[in-house]
Amino acid sequence: MINQLLKKQVHKSQLLFFALSSSLGLGILLIVVQLLVDTQSIFNSKNDLLGNQNLIIYKDLGRDNAFTSDEITELNSQPFINKTGGFTHGTYRVLASVTFPNHAGISTEMFLEAVSDEFIDITNEDWKWQPGDKEVPIIIPKNYINLYNFGYATSSGLPQVNEKIIRQVPIDLTLSGTHKTENYRAYILDASEKINSILVPESFLNYTNKKLSPLKANKISRIILDVINPSDPKLLEFLASKKYNYLSNDIQNSKLSYVLKLILSIVLGIGLLITILSIYLVITNINLLILKNKQTITQLHFLGYSKAQIAKVYHAIAFKILAVSIIIALTLSIICKYIFSPYLSVLQVQPNITSIIYSVILSVLIFISLAMYYRKHTNSKIKQMLRPNTSLLSSEN
Amino acid sequence: MQVNIQSIVPDYFTPASSEVWSKNFEFQPNSKYLVKAVSGSGKSSLFNFMYGLNNRYSGSILFNDTSISSFSDTDWTTIRKQQIAIVFQGLKLFPELTALENIQLKNTLTNHKTETEILEMMSQLEVDQLAHKKAETLSYGQQQRIAIIRALCQPFKLLLLDEPFSHIDKAQITNAITLVNKEVAANQATLIIASLGDTYNIDYTKTILL
Repeated sequence: MINQLLKKQVHKSQLLFFALSSSLGLGILLIVVQLLVDTQSIFNSKNDLLGNQNLIIYKDLGRDNAFTSDEITELNSQPFINKTGGFTHGTYRVLASVTFPNHAGISTEMFLEAVSDEFIDITNEDWKWQPGDKEVPIIIPKNYINLYNFGYATSSGLPQVNEKIIRQVPIDLTLSGTHKTENYRAYILDASEKINSILVPESFLNYTNKKLSPLKANKISRIILDVINPSDPKLLEFLASKKYNYLSNDIQNSKLSYVLKLILSIVLGIGLLITILSIYLVITNINLLILKNKQTITQLHFLGYSKAQIAKVYHAIAFKILAVSIIIALTLSIICKYIFSPYLSVLQVQPNITSIIYSVILSVLIFISLAMYYRKHTNSKIKQMLRPNTSLLSSEN
Repeated sequence: MQVNIQSIVPDYFTPASSEVWSKNFEFQPNSKYLVKAVSGSGKSSLFNFMYGLNNRYSGSILFNDTSISSFSDTDWTTIRKQQIAIVFQGLKLFPELTALENIQLKNTLTNHKTETEILEMMSQLEVDQLAHKKAETLSYGQQQRIAIIRALCQPFKLLLLDEPFSHIDKAQITNAITLVNKEVAANQATLIIASLGDTYNIDYTKTILL
């Protein structure tokens, strides 16, 4: 009976409209969150174009193109640069030879460099070296493998290799410094898409530099920068003013990543805005409903109905709107996931249900927090309405 | 219930001198009082003060030696279910509900009467035929009788009737008073009737002029 009285101004179509408008905002929110979760792997993987937030800089070629420590300090102090890492190179000559079974061996002169591990896009527990270790892990640029497979191997009749097989290929390094020559066993641990150099662990390079050419100073001629946004005009202006060079490819990639992130953020913002507006709409309408039923509410209260009993009716309405809108939003976001999945697979995103789990958890959290908010709001509105002296009845004298 | 009135004066109008405003007196348990006043002198205000709807007055009102200003909202809800029954001058029935539903609305809160007992009371006041008619279709006198029955559907120690019989004919007033007296006696309650002048042939402990 109390339901019948308190709901007399409620129109089902109106409630459905509120639910739909809420579900629109919540739906966009859930879809974007799902997309973010799904594409997290691309944004986070350091070797992919979207995750590229590093920039390698170098000075014009010449005799003295090493970076001084003052210059490095200056780079570090720039607000748009998170951190810097110098490339150290071996101060000795390197001869690498590879022997394929049943084939003539090949040998080549090359060089070795090292950079701080945090800038390397490969995480592998074998990426370490300490004196006494049998083998040295090496990271080569990915395009070297391509050059070898499609250029050298094809023309010279050598077998083609992939990143897994290449690990098995033993490499003999002969390092000749000013004081000493030493041989090391090495293997190719992995191939990097980001760093265009032949890398060994820093510990190995420091050790061999000291041992083989103790008198030669280590110069840093290339620096890798960890930046917030590689295409930041302030950063580019700074680099230009210092006459530091960089690879424009890095900038292009970062622009793409930046734009993608920007678009997702804008959509997320719109979703949030619509959600907030729809929450406001629901709140306003609950207020209106309570106001429309003011007389009924006060009369019921004076008959002995508690505020909680009265508020419960409006809680139920608000919770229903909320539940319907969240269920619609969740369904919408799951449907969208399947619509988007072929497009995402282009970006090599594996179909998985993690994002759906996230959406469901998020929905439950949104439901709980909004339900609590609506509840609190309704209670305070009813409390406000039922304060002594504000009643319709006290006007009689 | 013992009700002590200690020099109360409404804040929002200046009442004429009377036996109520700015005076100290009490309503004793198991007693009947008539508050007699011309219209506009503040009868309903007095009832609203005692029912907790209005606290814009100075002075204090005590229920069994406890000041009602100390009551919380929850206290009032309990009091309105178990201690004080009221018939408002404006009745405050829900027009969209039937006569019986209006009564049941109170009774479901208290489970004080069975439906048979309610119908019995309705037939005593000759409104049983109207049980299933919407309140808005009833005459004011019929609505007054429904409001009286509604007020009796709860345990009470104080019954406040604000001009309850103004639109009821003499024969029905007698029936209503019989019913009210019976319930007041059963509840061992205090009865306070506000009236413009009629005494309704009730044996009052005291008549207070307002």
